[in-house]
Amino acid sequence: MIEALRLTVNGDTQEIGVPSHYTLLEALRYVLGYTGSKQGCDKGDCGACTVLLDGQPALSCILPVQEAIDREVTTVEGLAGPDGPHPLQDAFDLTGAAQCGFCTPGILMSAASLLQRNQSPSNHEIREALSGNLCRCTGYTKIFDAVEIAARALRENRPAAEVVRA
Amino acid sequence: MLRLHPYRYHRPKELGEALELLREHRGDSMPIAGGTDLMPNMKHGLYTPSHLVALKGVEELHVIEERDGELVIGAAETLTRVASDPLIKRRLPGLARAAEGIAHPMIRNIGTIGGNVCLDTRCTYYNQTYFWREALGFCLKKDGDVCYVVKGGSRCVAAHSADTPPMLMTLGATVDLATADGARSVPLTKFFTADGIWNTVREPDELVIRVRVPIPSPRLRTSYQKVRERKSVDFPLLGIALAVEIDDSHLIESISLVVAGLGAKPRVVGGLDKIAGGQRLTPDIIEEVARRAHRQCNPLDNLIVDTDWRHAMVAVYVRRAFEEVLGQPLAAA
Amino acid sequence: MKLEDFRGRQADSAASEEELREALEREFQVIGRRLRRTDGMSKSTGRTLYADDITLPGMLHAKILRSPHAHALIKSIDASAALELRGVHAVVTGADMPVPYGIIPWTRDEYPLCVDKVRYIGDGVAAVAAIDEDTANRALDSIEVEYEVLPHFLDPEEALERSDTPIHEPHKPGQNGNISKKVHLEFEDVEKGLADSDVVIEGEYYFEGTTHTPIEPHCAIGYFDPSGKLTVWSATQVPHYLHRELARVLELDVAKVRVIQPPVGGAFGGKSEPFDLEFCVAKLAMITARPVKILYTREEVFYAHRGRHPMLMHYKTGADRHGRIKAVDATTIIDGGAYSSFGLVTTYYSGQLITAPYQMESYRFDSTRVYTNKPCCGPKRGHGSVQPRFAIEVQLDKIAEALDIDPIELRRRNFIGTNTRTINELRITSNGFLQCLEEVERASAWKSKHRKLDYGRGVGVAGSCYISGTNYPIYPNDMPQSAVQLQVDRSGRVAVFAGASEIGQGSDSMLAYIVAEELGVPLDYIRILSADTDLTPVDLGAYSSRVTFMCGNACIDAARKIKKLVCEAVAEAWNCKAKSIMLAGGWAFKAEDTAQKMPISEAFNLAEAKFGALGATGSYNTPKDIHGTYRGGTIGSSPAFSFTAHVAEVDVDPETGFVEIHKIWIAHDCGRALNPLLVEGQMEGSVYMGAAEAIMEEHIFKETGLHNAPSLLDYKIPTSLDTPEMQSIIVESIDPEGPYGAKEAGEGPLHPSIPAIACAIYDAVGVRLDRLPFSPPRVWAAIRERGRQEEAGELSPWKSPPISVPLPATGD
Repeated sequence: MIEALRLTVNGDTQEIGVPSHYTLLEALRYVLGYTGSKQGCDKGDCGACTVLLDGQPALSCILPVQEAIDREVTTVEGLAGPDGPHPLQDAFDLTGAAQCGFCTPGILMSAASLLQRNQSPSNHEIREALSGNLCRCTGYTKIFDAVEIAARALRENRPAAEVVRA
Repeated sequence: MLRLHPYRYHRPKELGEALELLREHRGDSMPIAGGTDLMPNMKHGLYTPSHLVALKGVEELHVIEERDGELVIGAAETLTRVASDPLIKRRLPGLARAAEGIAHPMIRNIGTIGGNVCLDTRCTYYNQTYFWREALGFCLKKDGDVCYVVKGGSRCVAAHSADTPPMLMTLGATVDLATADGARSVPLTKFFTADGIWNTVREPDELVIRVRVPIPSPRLRTSYQKVRERKSVDFPLLGIALAVEIDDSHLIESISLVVAGLGAKPRVVGGLDKIAGGQRLTPDIIEEVARRAHRQCNPLDNLIVDTDWRHAMVAVYVRRAFEEVLGQPLAAA
Repeated sequence: MKLEDFRGRQADSAASEEELREALEREFQVIGRRLRRTDGMSKSTGRTLYADDITLPGMLHAKILRSPHAHALIKSIDASAALELRGVHAVVTGADMPVPYGIIPWTRDEYPLCVDKVRYIGDGVAAVAAIDEDTANRALDSIEVEYEVLPHFLDPEEALERSDTPIHEPHKPGQNGNISKKVHLEFEDVEKGLADSDVVIEGEYYFEGTTHTPIEPHCAIGYFDPSGKLTVWSATQVPHYLHRELARVLELDVAKVRVIQPPVGGAFGGKSEPFDLEFCVAKLAMITARPVKILYTREEVFYAHRGRHPMLMHYKTGADRHGRIKAVDATTIIDGGAYSSFGLVTTYYSGQLITAPYQMESYRFDSTRVYTNKPCCGPKRGHGSVQPRFAIEVQLDKIAEALDIDPIELRRRNFIGTNTRTINELRITSNGFLQCLEEVERASAWKSKHRKLDYGRGVGVAGSCYISGTNYPIYPNDMPQSAVQLQVDRSGRVAVFAGASEIGQGSDSMLAYIVAEELGVPLDYIRILSADTDLTPVDLGAYSSRVTFMCGNACIDAARKIKKLVCEAVAEAWNCKAKSIMLAGGWAFKAEDTAQKMPISEAFNLAEAKFGALGATGSYNTPKDIHGTYRGGTIGSSPAFSFTAHVAEVDVDPETGFVEIHKIWIAHDCGRALNPLLVEGQMEGSVYMGAAEAIMEEHIFKETGLHNAPSLLDYKIPTSLDTPEMQSIIVESIDPEGPYGAKEAGEGPLHPSIPAIACAIYDAVGVRLDRLPFSPPRVWAAIRERGRQEEAGELSPWKSPPISVPLPATGD
């Protein structure tokens, strides 16, 4: 059964037709073409599909698409704006925090939400916030570095590269 | 990608409407709040209702307030909210901590307290895809009639795997349930049954509306110990909730201990008042409580982890619960 | 239009004169710096397109029907009902592709879909292409397969005995069809070595299987164009081998097959051979004349597997009283799973790769790889040698204890040295192992910790070596192992065409750094086009840690050819000698006078005017005189070896058995770090993966042969809260043959994690865990056992002052 829904993704509100048993992830990837959010585990165990739902990280692979109605969905594509990448994205690039890059979109969304709530997260708070996002390449160390650098960049209102140099 | 079966997704705004939908489609519908348990289960083909009745939009299910000496928590409140709400943290710090340890942040952001209370039981032979279960030969919890945990067993022994119920049980919580025909209240200690297939007294068209927890005495100290392989994501291999009311000189006024994660029903460790009531909390008493808990709990091979170890851990973590209780500040009045 | 309009504008960001003067002082301008990756921003913004992000017009989706039996004959397949379903376009079965394949040409024992027999639960039997996945799934349900179930074997020792029920037909009549490969090699007289030893330690070790678990599931898309050309996009790490096997199995002209490898979302060896999905999308695309995609479910990724082989290893190690190794005698049973995969190599590697960094006077290994009815094992990061490395390093720890020698000192005494040969004749050139040992000893404050920390906390050390590529390709040929083609645009933009596979390790970036170093072009003026068999020269693939060494050398070769032309053209313009022309920082300039300079694009234009279109190819082939002179002596041979040492510090909770890895210090000799940031990334990722294998991962099966739990919930890989703290120390031994002296960094650093953790647990609580993983129940049981022995007076308490371990209540 195809259902007509109105979704707001990265600030754009669109009416789309989706099979009613689609998850938000399927709607994003295969209907709207937002392929940044990834499918890794099929069922909520890895976090690669993480998007923000009204600013809070949520697993789009186990979220019925209808649950996104009347809410703001932000995907990784919505993190960078016309002014350039989000400081987190710059910091990830700078520190080599993305190796294969497949878990990166999900991790960025969890990290972005953390930095919204907490401008000076401790190492433990970073670990805690990312604890639903599995990464298999990095051992997480460069990711922790990146989030700390991005937090400082945001606090000090200067580019991540300057924070690293300082 | 692992596919879902086709269904219709209903999004009622009011409780009455939700209950009506469940009655109308009784037998072929399920309520869904966060769906963090149900969606993976549906992807595994464990549930295939034609109708899903979504509860997140139902206003009546959203509440956290103190009322008549009780803390009332609406069933659709998220676990993140339960873990962080100032009122809950002040009045029921043990519950907040149990909620904080569930799965991982994204699950807690979407999953609800009502869903956690109603969490389906889990078993290594059950939480698998249709292909896997068919290749094994279906088990009695779903689609088959044999038990792989207890050979020749006719009763499902899948494990109760939720973190908040044991804590809520020690706190004397009650759940309010409703159907289209009426409402009832059940103490949480009577809510669960020892049947792994459907381990609660909730009827399929019945909803948990809210959880009510008596505001505890300021002398009540609680601890929730969760044993799991990883520090995040995982369900408990064992969950131990302890609530002890003690005065300043460590005289025990009441004691309640619940062990979950082993069988279909969280086990209230019995006979504790006899050995501990009115006694001073000493290492000997703690040892005796640990011994009793150990004796009363018998883990089965329903999870992948060694049962002897899980059994031994009952005693270890009961002791650790006491250690935490003795080290923790009193709950705020 | 003026010429300037065509030139790039890199001069805007080019180096200042002062910077150029500084450049003269430095050996390298780009190499050795902590630079961004070429694909970092694209990945960090979610723009990188992986295989499943590709959608083609009219694309169909296919699913594969898998065997529910571990071992059975296929009696019949009836797909007629499936074909009648609306939306179903085609069904294929084994009969449609009856040509066996396999990554090793001598052991082709798989079919794209099973032809007459299934060998594990999850083996592919039929595939359906339909308008969407739901329809394809429904079609699978309606396919009737009749099986005749055979006895199945999960235990290799049982399979060995049951040659009456061969999983594969024997290679020759009379052989045991359940033996996949057997290798027996002896170097010098082991019996004598053991007899002459002052101490002999005997131990049995079991390494449990583990799997790669990339976060990206395998995905492939096939497209057959009307002119008869097949294109397959696949998340593979071996596009070249896939190219060959697709053509061979589908009986197509290899020139009419194109394999494109999009960026891969993690592989770790798990995507290093062809899989059923690639053949199926190709065949289904040929039948339907539509693009066809298959995306594995996570469950299917576990069935595809090719992960770490379980190994049962029996070791006898003898040493003199100074701790010098006199003999190593190893017998290993390798559980191969249902097919050969790289098994021939694995069997050799299980013995060949542990003969450094330690000198041994005699060595013997006997390894037998056995087929079992489980998903096939293959190469996982540190292919074949992570398991025996666990055994031998723990053996050394036991010897050190028996002789009361510090385990780091013991390793020092056995150091094999540089520019030498191992006992099995592998050529060793650069070797920074001693420095690796020193670094971790110092950084971890080893001397103040070993056997000195309180009960429950301990440290352990281990070392290792690993190959930088295999000296011989998988199919014998004399052509280069790797090649690169460069093309220079008038704008100053340089395109690099390379067959190398970017799987997250940074191979694209590595190539860009080399071109930037050689041609003086800013990094953002370099485009990397990799792993497209129609466009890029052959590279054998991202396996055996070969890419930096081999493709890097090929890239230097190509870049220097262009550099020579550019310098000549500029020298002619300036009327000076070519050797005084430098290319750096976006300029061509004179070494003696940095004020004399021109933008690099102008220099390129001069060269193009003088020599014609600017382009070059470069290639690398391995030296062919460095292997052992015995049969099998080519396997394990590598142009260079990397070396690693770890110290792990752990906390063991004696009541529960939980092991918390407090910190791991890793020193790795990678020759030269082309980009230290990326080298550290490889080191940390390796250590994390090894630590996870040590304490939580196990790829195991139910009695029926069914995978224990094929999901990321039940197969435990560490979360951000579980990962240990790590300190990476790069050791640069500067290899004489590596690109700028570089060696591998992607696999070697994993090896010592597991034995270092095992030895740290011993140091903490006095129990030897010779069986993986060191999960809480196992550690707990071992501690209890020791407690019993202490109570019975058979052992004295571990560490002083003695601490009694509270035994958990056992009930009444």
